[in-house]
Amino acid sequence: MWLGILLASLGMLVGLVIGFNLPMVLPQAYAKYMSVAALAALDSVFGGIRSAMEDHFDQSIFVTGFFSNALLAAGLAFAGERLGIDLYLAAVVAFGVRIFQNLGVIRRHLLKK
Amino acid sequence: MAKVVSYLPIMLVALVLGVILAVQFRVTNPPEGVPYINREQDIVNELRELARERKRLEEEIIDLEYKLEQLETGQAEVTDALVAEVAKTRLGTGLVSVTGPGVEVILDNPPAVDGRPGGNLFLIRDEDLLKVVNELRGVGAEAISINGQRLVAFSEVRLVGSSFINVNLTRIIPPYQILAVGPPEDLMNTLMAPGGLTDFMQDVGIQVTVEKQDSLTVPAYKGEWYMNYAKPAQRG
Repeated sequence: MWLGILLASLGMLVGLVIGFNLPMVLPQAYAKYMSVAALAALDSVFGGIRSAMEDHFDQSIFVTGFFSNALLAAGLAFAGERLGIDLYLAAVVAFGVRIFQNLGVIRRHLLKK
Repeated sequence: MAKVVSYLPIMLVALVLGVILAVQFRVTNPPEGVPYINREQDIVNELRELARERKRLEEEIIDLEYKLEQLETGQAEVTDALVAEVAKTRLGTGLVSVTGPGVEVILDNPPAVDGRPGGNLFLIRDEDLLKVVNELRGVGAEAISINGQRLVAFSEVRLVGSSFINVNLTRIIPPYQILAVGPPEDLMNTLMAPGGLTDFMQDVGIQVTVEKQDSLTVPAYKGEWYMNYAKPAQRG
C-alpha cells in the first residue's frame, strides 16, 4: 500500500533529478506536447496506484494505457495545432478529471484502512 | 517482493513523469547556456533567415546607392549650372577683366597751334566718345573701356565743366584710349567705313588711330555699385 506511493515518489524524485541535469532543453514549440505527456504520466501513476490498491493491477494494461494515453494526447495536440483548434484541451480536461477521480478513490482506500 | 515487482512499472512511469516535469519546468524557466535539443535545426533556420535578411538588405543598399548617385549627379548638375550662370553674369556685367580680339581706338585733340590748344570747337567732347562707343556696341562689342574705365550698365560718359570728361565718376584726360573686345573685322569696318565716324572726326581735326588687336585686355569695373531702388519686379 504505502510501498506503492513510496516507490512512485522515489521514481518521480529520481526522474526530477535526471530531468534537471539533462544537458539540453526542449524548444518552446514542444512545450505543449510535453505538458500533455506530463498529464498522461500523472494520470497513469494515479491510475496505477489506485488499481494496485484495488488489487487488480495489470502490468500490460498499465504500460499500454500509459503509452496509448500519452500518444493520443500528443496526437490530439498536434492535430489541434494543425486545425487551429485547441484539441489538447480535451486531453487536459480528460486527464484532469481522471486524476481527481483516482485521487478520490485512493483517498477512500486509505481512509478505509 | 511480488508487490515490489508489480509496482515497478508505476515507478518507471513516475520516473518518466519526473523527467517530463523537470524538462517542462526548464522550458518555462530556461537556464543559461544549455543547448536546445534541436539546436542545429534552429541554427540552420536562423542562418537561412539571416541569409534572406542579408540579401534583402543588400538589395536595399543597391537601391539606396542608386538613389544617392542620382541625387549627387542632380546636385552636381545644378551646381555646375549655377556656377556657369554666375560666371556668365559676372562676365556680362563687366565685373571681371576680359581678354580677346578687338580694336584699339585712340582719339586725341588737335595739336596745339602757336602754343594754344586747337580751340574749344575742335576739342573732343563727350558726344564724340559716345558716338564711338555706340558704333562699337552696334556691331557687337562685348566689352569696352575708355582710359581704363570699363563701361558697364550704369556707366556715364559725361562732360564735366568745360573740358573734362568723366567716365564712372572718374576724370579722364586725352589722349582717349578706347578698347573694345568684339569681332575685330566688324569693329574695324564700322569705324573705318568711307564717310563714317573716323572720316568725320578726322575732318574736324581730331587725331584718330584705329588698330586691330589680336588680343587685348579690357579691365574690370573697379567702382562700387548699389541697387538701392531697383528691385526685382513681381511676376504676374
